[in-house]
Amino acid sequence: MPCEMITLQLGQCGNQIGFEFWKRLCAEHGISPEGILEDYATEGTDRKDVFFYQSDDEHYIPRAVLLDLEPRVIHTIMNSPYSKLYNPENIYLSKHGGGAGNNWASGYHQGEKLQEEIFDILDREADGSDSLEGFVLCHSIAGGTGSGMGSFMLESLADRFPKKLIETYSVFPNQDEISDVVVQPYNSLLTLKRLTQCADCVVVLDNTALNRIATDRLHIQNPSFTQINKLVSTIMSVSTTTLRYPSYMNNDLVGLIAPLIPTPRLHFLMTGYTPLTTDQEGASVRKTSVLDVMRRLLQPKNMMVSTAVDRNAAHCYISILNIIQGEVDPTQVHKSLQRIRERKLAQFIPWGPASIQVALSRKSPYIQSTHRVSGLMLANHTNISSLFDRALQQYDKLRKREAFLEQFRKEKMFEDNLDELDNSREVVDCLVKEYQAATRSDYLTWSPNKTD
Amino acid sequence: MSEFKLHHLVVELIDLLGSSSAPEKHVEKLQKEGSATNVVTLNSVATQSCVRQLAKNSPNAELFIKKYEELKSKKVDMLGPFMQLLEFISVDRELKSYLNKTSSLAPVTTSSTTITNEDLPKIFKNVIKAAHEGEKKLNKQLCPVNTERDITHMKHTWSSERPRLSWNFQTESPALQLQKVVPSISQESVLLWDILQCLKGIDGSYIVSETPSHPYGPVTFKISPDVGVSFKQLTEQILPLASHYSMTIRFVEEKMLPDDGQVNHALRGALSSLLRDYLLFVVQLEIEHLRGKLNLQKLWFYIQPTLTTMSILNQITSTIFKANAKGGKVLSLLHEQINNMSGEAKCKELCLFLIKAASVPYMQTLEKWVYKGVIYDPYQEFFVEDNELIQKEELPMDYSADYWEKRYSMRPERIPVFLSEHDQTILRTGKYFNVIRQCGKTVQWGKQEPLVYQHRDQKFISAIDRAYSEAARTLLEVLIQENDLMGRLRSVKNYFLLAQGDFVVQFMNLCEPELSKNMYDIVTHRLSSLLEVALRMSTADSDPYKDDLKPELLPYGLQYQMFRILTIQTNEEKEYCAQADKTVSGMEAFVFNYDVKWPVSLVINRKAIACYQMLFRHLFYCKHVERLLCRVWISNKIAKTFTHEAAMTYRQAFSLRQRMLDCIQHLEYYMMVEVIEPNWLMFLNKMSKVSNVDEVLRVHQDLQDSYLKECMLMDHELLECITGVCSVCIEFCKFMQRMSRYFIDAELRSMIGSCQDDIFEPEAECSGNSSADGVNFIDRIMTLDKQFTEVLIRLLNRICDLGCDNSNEKLLNVVCRLDFNLYYTQILMQRDSKKRSQETSG
Repeated sequence: MPCEMITLQLGQCGNQIGFEFWKRLCAEHGISPEGILEDYATEGTDRKDVFFYQSDDEHYIPRAVLLDLEPRVIHTIMNSPYSKLYNPENIYLSKHGGGAGNNWASGYHQGEKLQEEIFDILDREADGSDSLEGFVLCHSIAGGTGSGMGSFMLESLADRFPKKLIETYSVFPNQDEISDVVVQPYNSLLTLKRLTQCADCVVVLDNTALNRIATDRLHIQNPSFTQINKLVSTIMSVSTTTLRYPSYMNNDLVGLIAPLIPTPRLHFLMTGYTPLTTDQEGASVRKTSVLDVMRRLLQPKNMMVSTAVDRNAAHCYISILNIIQGEVDPTQVHKSLQRIRERKLAQFIPWGPASIQVALSRKSPYIQSTHRVSGLMLANHTNISSLFDRALQQYDKLRKREAFLEQFRKEKMFEDNLDELDNSREVVDCLVKEYQAATRSDYLTWSPNKTD
Repeated sequence: MSEFKLHHLVVELIDLLGSSSAPEKHVEKLQKEGSATNVVTLNSVATQSCVRQLAKNSPNAELFIKKYEELKSKKVDMLGPFMQLLEFISVDRELKSYLNKTSSLAPVTTSSTTITNEDLPKIFKNVIKAAHEGEKKLNKQLCPVNTERDITHMKHTWSSERPRLSWNFQTESPALQLQKVVPSISQESVLLWDILQCLKGIDGSYIVSETPSHPYGPVTFKISPDVGVSFKQLTEQILPLASHYSMTIRFVEEKMLPDDGQVNHALRGALSSLLRDYLLFVVQLEIEHLRGKLNLQKLWFYIQPTLTTMSILNQITSTIFKANAKGGKVLSLLHEQINNMSGEAKCKELCLFLIKAASVPYMQTLEKWVYKGVIYDPYQEFFVEDNELIQKEELPMDYSADYWEKRYSMRPERIPVFLSEHDQTILRTGKYFNVIRQCGKTVQWGKQEPLVYQHRDQKFISAIDRAYSEAARTLLEVLIQENDLMGRLRSVKNYFLLAQGDFVVQFMNLCEPELSKNMYDIVTHRLSSLLEVALRMSTADSDPYKDDLKPELLPYGLQYQMFRILTIQTNEEKEYCAQADKTVSGMEAFVFNYDVKWPVSLVINRKAIACYQMLFRHLFYCKHVERLLCRVWISNKIAKTFTHEAAMTYRQAFSLRQRMLDCIQHLEYYMMVEVIEPNWLMFLNKMSKVSNVDEVLRVHQDLQDSYLKECMLMDHELLECITGVCSVCIEFCKFMQRMSRYFIDAELRSMIGSCQDDIFEPEAECSGNSSADGVNFIDRIMTLDKQFTEVLIRLLNRICDLGCDNSNEKLLNVVCRLDFNLYYTQILMQRDSKKRSQETSG
């Protein structure tokens, strides 16, 4: 099977969203929690083997590797109905179970120590697939395991599998509430450097926006992790839908993300999904049309990234891919595109051709949806830099006070100096600058040193 | 389709004329004037005026008119159109002089003792000959006109060998001397004997037959001058009956050769039974005469009813003789005869009797055809002709598209008039049943009504219609239900039109190394085993027809193929031919082939497969380019870690790659999502409504036509642009792959932090010191960039042009999306302004 993906779930957050993701995939492909194909799903033309493989006894097993340094979340998974779904060999729990203590450096260091065992698992999975296309990494950038160990994994994966794609679903911390992780700015920045340099495509999932969407659009007062993670799993599953339900185009991951990412560094994607519904609320069924869906996708309030409005820079889209599911007539798609163009609903970069690409995709036949048309937007927007900018500001605040650095100094990487932090700041700063430069027409000849 | 057909006809015509001019010019012209030519419908009114016009122009008008009438009486087919052609020629002075000139050069082939030649004015002589020959080649039906005399001379039956056995007058015997005078009082009795003899076809003593001046003219009689005037007049009144009899008996005696056909034989039978009555009547007259109760007046009175009957028989037989008709044409003539006889109930009845008798064998043939799909037609009378050449065993092997079109052909001149409205139905009915039989199925018939000719309510027509609907339904059922035509078509679409995306990806993953070789180095069986692997490993595995898919390598590229199909004799093609010999890569040469079994091969025939192959190559190549660009993307992703300086150097290349990918993906999206899938859905919709196989074929043909047209294959300039875009992309990819090892250098340098060599300002490059280390990276990218922009703008312009002309606004969608943020518009505007400023300054 071509284009297999191996999913890595790291840390508490990564495992939680991964758990929801697999739940959703099972439902879409008609696979029971035990991994057995349901009777109604035996004659599908879907491709289960992008994310699953079959064991000798016809069980479908996810190509997933579950990693954590503390047992809580993984234990929850193992006590759920889905416990038999995963290959137990692929679940790796650190032996001492102490976690990373929300410390990036600790997570990174533990990752380094455990790499032999982890890569045993990964190599086995990679060898087991016919033509592996890449890795999907689920993690958060704020905590310890997901960010620290995730960073280490990113570096090693990029090193060991230079020809494979590395796509991450990275959860960014909620800005609206005060985090109990005080070193979160350090963690974020250090992870951001790896995401910039080692990942090929980062789907940014901003907890701020996710919470906002849950309260504003889904009218949930205090959204739970599960509810938020459902949102995330929707995005993850829809963004891979063209791989799993093959049609004329976008049948491999690279074909999907290559047009979104013109220059390698600008690979942070925003997502939007509409229409959003919850399980409880079936009453508010909207009339959906292609134009309606595409227009909503361009509205910032439907974006799963909360970006500050920056009046100084004329932020614009570098590229957009809309994955539209449902009964869609291509002429409607084109008419909607024309309408968007006429009304100038989206601003695009001046230095190259950019447009809203559309991928029409089938839906899973096993999931009933009340809406006729639904759409996911994957967009490369320069305004994502404001997120990094915010991370930089928070880092700078903390760094100025030299706060909470002792925990880091304990680890090997920061024993002698804090160069790594400075270096990371430099990388992220350059990234922000490059994004800002991408709004201008001279981007192709831009260089940070020259403009300064 | 009509476009292709027209094209084909023109090509054939040009071939016949031995001309070397390019056909598409003529086709274009014809299409432009299409509406004008349609006006000149071939109706009789126009013909009349043509004849008049021609007569006026001709120096020898009377002769011409006479000739025309003669031809008309012979019921020569296509006379009307022929006259019109002549008129066109006579009006067109240029053509006339040209024909005059060339006709002397042209070798006079064929015996062509064309009747028209001698009589028509000199100017027309050669024209007619040329036209005649052309027509002959197109339609052999005129041949009998020329050769009919030979046939009549060739007969060797008893009527010629033993002329005295004939019941007709002996034409060969020398004219008898008229008897001596008898006193006028006794004359009547003798004369009566004579007349009664003549009525039986035997010369009398006072009345002697004369050989007719025309071969099929009526027999005339010479009456001895001694006969009294009053007797003579009466006799002359009576004698036409004898000549009618003569004509009829002549028909009965002469039309007995196998070549004359079953219809004529049947008619003969009917006629001879009528003649028996007639002879009985004559015998009765003789008895009456023996009793001495007959005189001329009485005779005249007695023969009145018989005279009308016989005159009809005479009319019928002489028409058939003149037209040398057989088979369907005889029936047509009879049918017309009936139509002309409204009001005369008795005569009509007679004719009906004749046509009923004559039509029996024809109707039997028709029955066999309509109920079983079999032609039994030993004398070539039936209007459907079986051109069977292929043995049944060979059928599934190479079932070309021609089968359906050419296996059974229609001979319009043989269609009886009363069937002419239903000819297509009849043709199809038999065809369908024939196919059903070939599928090894028997048709269960509730009731096969025998087909009998009826003049009025024509019951047999409804029987034919019933048979037709039965045939259409059964065959459709056989095709769609039993042989799963739609499943087949879907499977063809999945592979040839790349609808089975994951299979295509898998296949390309496996075969790309093999296909990137030169076509002659590729081992085909390796390809087929790889194909099999790809099929089993993708979702195509669930397709029951996957094993019918085979790989094939064609020794020419798509562009060349399309050129050949459009028969464009341009310079580019000649250039292309020269190139084509050596450089066909596997990727360009590769196509799928698909085994189709009878009877699905009726729809998915060779032609259809060839059409799908063209589409496949087009799409496959685009996909290939897309994949190459994606691969460049993957190998470039390392540039994330470069220093900013190095990254800047490469950014130009990255943006070019992005533009290329954007372009290719938009083209693919257009072709796949906007053309193939909607057309397919429309096709499905139409297919749910079809009622017979011809409609299936037509609908499928429509589908393919719109595929070809909308996928930009039919316009060679457009195709050239797309090929151009692809080749620039490929060049770029190759260059980038070559350069990828330098990336590692760049990476290393970026670690060291010094990359002075790499940073050149593009402007500095242009000054021309790039000769130092070959072609510089930036330079090369710039040229590729320029090339790409050039060809892409050409493509966009061409699309705009076509979009405006041809009302295929769908194509404009591509432009709209490619230029979504007006990037290319701006480039063009900048160019324009630059040009303008140069002009103003210069």
